[in-house]
Amino acid sequence: MLFLTLIAVPLLGAIVTLIKRDSKANISLLVSAIVLVVGIVGFKDVFTGTPATFEMALPGPFAPTFQADPLTAIFVILTCFVWLAVSMYTPKYMKHEGGEKRFKLCALLTLSSILGVFTSGDLFTLLLFFEIMTVTSYFWVIHKWDNDAISAGYYYLFYSIIGGLLVVLGAVLLYSASDSTLVIGESVTVTDSRMFAWAIGLLIAGFGTKAGMFPLHSWLPRAHSAAPTPGSALLSGLIIKVGIYGLIRSVQFVGWGNALEIGTSRLGPALAVLGVCTMLVGTVLALFQSHAKRLLAYSSVSQMGYIILGLGTSLYLGQDGGLGLLGAIYHVVNHALFKATLFMGIGIIYIKTNELDLYKMGGLLRRFPITAALMFVAVLGIIGAPGLNGYVSKTVLHHGVTLAAETGAGWAIWAERLFLVTGVGTATYFAKLYYLIFLKGSEKATCKSTDIRTEKASSANQVQHGEKEVRHGKSTGMHIGMGILVVTMLVIGISPKLFPDVSGAVATQGLGINNAIESLGALTYWNFSDISGMVITLALGVFFCWLGLKSGLFSLRLPVWISTKCISSSVQRLVSAISKRGARFYSSASKLVSKVSRSAHSRLFNYSKSRAFTIFGTKVAGIGADATLLIVVLTLLIVWYTLIDPGLPVLEYMKLVS
Amino acid sequence: MLFLILALLSGVVGGLIVAAIPESRERLRNLIVILFTALGTLSCWVVGISAFSGQSIMLVGHIAGFTFSLGPDPLGALFGIIASSLWMFAAVYSFGYMSEKKRHRTYFTFFLLSFSVTLGVAFSGNLIVLYLFYELLTFTTYPLVIHERTPEAVKAGKKYFLYSLSGAGAILVAVVFTYSMSGNLSFSDKPILAGSVDPRLNWLLVLFIVGFGVKAAIMPLHRWLPSAMVAPTPVSALLHAVAVVYSGVYGVLRVIYSVFGHELISQLSFGRVLPWIAAFTILVGVIIATRQDILKRRLAYHTISQLSYILLGAFTLQPLGLAGAMLHMISYSILKVALFFSAGIISEQTGETEISKMIGVGWSLPKTMTIFGVASLGMIGMLPLNTFWSKYYLMQGGVEGGRWQVAVVLICSGIVNAFCFIPTVVDAFRGKRTEGVLNKERGKRLFLMLTPTAILAVVAIFIGLWPGSVWPGVEAVVDWFF
Repeated sequence: MLFLTLIAVPLLGAIVTLIKRDSKANISLLVSAIVLVVGIVGFKDVFTGTPATFEMALPGPFAPTFQADPLTAIFVILTCFVWLAVSMYTPKYMKHEGGEKRFKLCALLTLSSILGVFTSGDLFTLLLFFEIMTVTSYFWVIHKWDNDAISAGYYYLFYSIIGGLLVVLGAVLLYSASDSTLVIGESVTVTDSRMFAWAIGLLIAGFGTKAGMFPLHSWLPRAHSAAPTPGSALLSGLIIKVGIYGLIRSVQFVGWGNALEIGTSRLGPALAVLGVCTMLVGTVLALFQSHAKRLLAYSSVSQMGYIILGLGTSLYLGQDGGLGLLGAIYHVVNHALFKATLFMGIGIIYIKTNELDLYKMGGLLRRFPITAALMFVAVLGIIGAPGLNGYVSKTVLHHGVTLAAETGAGWAIWAERLFLVTGVGTATYFAKLYYLIFLKGSEKATCKSTDIRTEKASSANQVQHGEKEVRHGKSTGMHIGMGILVVTMLVIGISPKLFPDVSGAVATQGLGINNAIESLGALTYWNFSDISGMVITLALGVFFCWLGLKSGLFSLRLPVWISTKCISSSVQRLVSAISKRGARFYSSASKLVSKVSRSAHSRLFNYSKSRAFTIFGTKVAGIGADATLLIVVLTLLIVWYTLIDPGLPVLEYMKLVS
Repeated sequence: MLFLILALLSGVVGGLIVAAIPESRERLRNLIVILFTALGTLSCWVVGISAFSGQSIMLVGHIAGFTFSLGPDPLGALFGIIASSLWMFAAVYSFGYMSEKKRHRTYFTFFLLSFSVTLGVAFSGNLIVLYLFYELLTFTTYPLVIHERTPEAVKAGKKYFLYSLSGAGAILVAVVFTYSMSGNLSFSDKPILAGSVDPRLNWLLVLFIVGFGVKAAIMPLHRWLPSAMVAPTPVSALLHAVAVVYSGVYGVLRVIYSVFGHELISQLSFGRVLPWIAAFTILVGVIIATRQDILKRRLAYHTISQLSYILLGAFTLQPLGLAGAMLHMISYSILKVALFFSAGIISEQTGETEISKMIGVGWSLPKTMTIFGVASLGMIGMLPLNTFWSKYYLMQGGVEGGRWQVAVVLICSGIVNAFCFIPTVVDAFRGKRTEGVLNKERGKRLFLMLTPTAILAVVAIFIGLWPGSVWPGVEAVVDWFF
């Protein structure tokens, strides 16, 4: 019942939105508040060790099942909370963007399906909600409805569809390779270890697509930057977490600690390496972005890399991998908080200045003091400044990676080094972002923004008047939305043990690491080496940012051939060349076939053109096409069986035919 | 028994009555058409449900030394229910579609006659009856294909005729040989040729597959299908995406499971080749489909590809694969008819038949294009649409049978399907909606066309959310043969 409420309330909201025209009420806010309360109250017991399950009693091969363990509860409550904050922000922003109703409708449907994903009890139910979520959130991406948005939408949709299909394939193989019934959280006995490894690999690839895992990340920056800002905040904050959730659940099929027995010992390192690649690619590409939302989107890619790395190391370490897993879950929560805040901040600036190019902004500190302050906290959070939430989860992750490196595995040692490098990179590009938006010398920027205004004013007075109101209006609701998230970040940062004690450690244990609660309880967050390491990272970040801006390194563009656009277009060219060859081959082959068949046809059927011929004294012209063919085939068969392969007495056949 | 006779005769009787009604009495004709279709459908459901529950109804007659028997087993009952139910939708759609066309009398006469003949194929109790009705189906549908009477239509009709009759010729030969080998032609839960070992069985299988494969549009034998798309849209939808092609598919399924039996097929060398032929058709069919610009032709090639899904499921010779094939038979037909109906609405209301010219039509036909979009998602195999389940079981059957490549082929086909249809839908809503755009989804005619289309889409989603609703039929078929 609880589960149905979670899913049905947003659906009801969507129906109300659909029926009621021009309602002023913020249904989205109301719905997310209800769902948040229901989630917290309903899942209270889950954290104390009583998982909830629910099955819809439908006969047949598929009946939706639902379950809630601590991991589910964390994701559900996080979703509702972030959604609540974004809902406060949305109305004001969407008034600027237009199409409020469309956005609201899709948001509510997406909320319903995302809660469905997190609470689903088997892979089919999960897939059901996963695919619905893909379609409904697609409408965010194409919200602007211009060519850029539509092409970004194609990227999003096709990558997601392919990801979904890979998950299906993984499920099929998983079902065949083990005694699994595809129920989430079950322990499986593997019968075919090679196929099992493939199955898990495909599940990881499928969910990894949604999570923006390298090399399947290229849809993410496009889609997240094309959507309107609340959409971007939710896509980056929550929707990609669905991918992470799927990854954790697929890894759960392997289980922590028995990888060697079932021949999946290479899965952990592979996942970790993919995580490191994702981190690096995201960071490097973020460094060179000039578009604010794109920078944030690439940062999301990089942060997903952290989470995947944590998951990989925990899988590698098995029962000792509690730290990596906790770090991953912890970072999911934190990333949702600060990335949503950052996108919302950029959105506030965008609707007032109509500018997303970092190099055209600058000196906005005075115009947006509150936004600047809130974003400052979020930036400090994401780069891991001590005292904020990012520091906490990154420290846990770092401990996890160090633990793996201590086993002496080469990849783990490199992962640990690259972890620090990425930390510096993150600090660098966020310093750049913040500097370019708020601190840089202002005269050029204001000039630019007045330029826009005068342009607008000259072109359409009416529109300008309307926009002016929006521009100079208060953005209190938007700031409250951001403020809630920032306060949560501060709370987590100041009392880092709160989350693991209440839920994180329980969730880790619930996933199958048996000694998680005790070992994670002993964790200390405030020690000298971690803090000093972070401070050095930040200092280096600021230094490199200064260096990059001074030397103009950031305005460098990557060589054309590296860009995904170029690679994809060359792939496209290759495919089209192959298909063209194939088509040419096909057409020539079909031409040949049709030539042969046409000549056969004319020989057989065009009797009137004096083509009538006789077989055994019978004039064929008088017989129908059907019978002609029959006679030919029969003759061939009779010849075959009488002359070439006289297996059975011929007479019997002859009798039958007559 | 009564219902079996009712199901079979309602089309013939209705068709003869319609033939007697003058061209101008449109209302009366429509009434009779819908009455007799409904009667046939209802009887079909009664017969089908009793067949699923294990009762056997048989109608046997001996004429000229031959035994003619009619009696559905679960497979036939399932085919009958699918075909007759969709016939209802097509009838309603036809009332709308044909109201601005000519030659209603001819159209509806043969529309009803084909109904009877299709059910005859479905309920045939032995190979001779199957052959006869299969042959008859060509004759009763030929006038529908050439309904427009344009030179192009006549040419397509000729092609259809020749292909079908040649196939039927091969079947006749194969039937004769089957009789000589076993002395028995009637279908039961035990295959006709069970237990016989003979290398020449390979050739017999080839003959059968070639014969039924023509209507099932297996790849080298598919050329008639795209050209037969000149027929009126309800005919294309029903006959060329469901009834006619399904009678071919049904024939192949009969051959595999009732004539040879899955144990025998798995020993034959040609039986091992069959899945690859189907896989080839799936991929090449859908790739050719993406290259077509005329919407109906694209749908036709897509039909060719999707029919082989069903065949592939049957060729895996696994219970799960057969379940997938049955589910796909149900799911695919619903969605494909919806796709064809939408294409018909687009071409009737805007006059556009080419996809490249359909940019922006979504604004004037929003509901139609939404249904088209939903059905396209189904063709990819996404939940919550019913084709997901069929695809899942097909893949599972392939993997269980030791052929993981089957699953990969289906996944690849799903991806190509996405590229085939999604851009069409998105392009239809490209460009800004302007005030001047007329909503062309008004009027009685469009109501008659849009309602069946919308209901089909809803049914597809319903089955997708609750596959258990069609599962008893699928289960009965699988239990019957395994």
